[in-house]
Amino acid sequence: MFRTVALRVHSAVRTGLNLNKPTVLAAFPARCMSHESTETDAEFDNRYESFFNRKDIDGWELRKGMNDLCGMDLIPEPRIIVAAMKACRRVNDYALAIRFLEAIKNKCGGKVNEIYPYIVKEIQPTLTELGIDTPEQLGIDKPELALQSVYDMS
Amino acid sequence: MKNGSRITHLVALREKEKGDWKKLTIEEKKALYRASFCQTYSEFTAPTGEWKSIIGCTLFLSALGVWLYIFLKLFEESKRAQLKRMIDLQVNPIEGIASQWDYEKDDWKK
Repeated sequence: MFRTVALRVHSAVRTGLNLNKPTVLAAFPARCMSHESTETDAEFDNRYESFFNRKDIDGWELRKGMNDLCGMDLIPEPRIIVAAMKACRRVNDYALAIRFLEAIKNKCGGKVNEIYPYIVKEIQPTLTELGIDTPEQLGIDKPELALQSVYDMS
Repeated sequence: MKNGSRITHLVALREKEKGDWKKLTIEEKKALYRASFCQTYSEFTAPTGEWKSIIGCTLFLSALGVWLYIFLKLFEESKRAQLKRMIDLQVNPIEGIASQWDYEKDDWKK
């Protein structure tokens, strides 16, 4: 709506001031009026897979990518998870790989019994190749240590 | 907790982490995890049982409310009789309670 208003004002100003130079209204079409993304699912998957596959990725960027993925309303495709596991191997961070797998399991929500076994089955070749255990194999899918809540301390 | 020995153990473990992960034992893997993360997902999402104390406090306060109501109901008749006596005695007839009572109509002034 504002775009049409602005265009009308602009054309009125032009005719009013008798500007004969042809001006390129390049600024107007490029303005994004909504937050909707035009990226397809495949493009999204490719973007994240290539992000994790970067050879020079460091620990911070890896965590940033994982955190952003976990913030979205989706469960990453197995090939994105595979790329993340390989990135963990490149930065020599074993704990991060386990943490990401736990996060994926948490993202499954109510459907964890359907989705999580499928994901583990899909990424198992990579896990065995890199020597990463699943959280269940390490035994941390059940609580181990209890921590006193900060609200219970005096 | 001995400071020196724990830190050197982690330094050695970090070196081992750079090598083949298949050579890490389960305990070492867990130690690496705990070095980075204080609690596991299952630990910080574990139920706290807080709902029991919430229900308990709510019911306790509701009970206090019910007791207050019972107390007021218990003395309702005697309070009404006390008020009637005050009006009959014309207590504070100029600015106080009896000034609000209309003695012709035998009701409160509108």
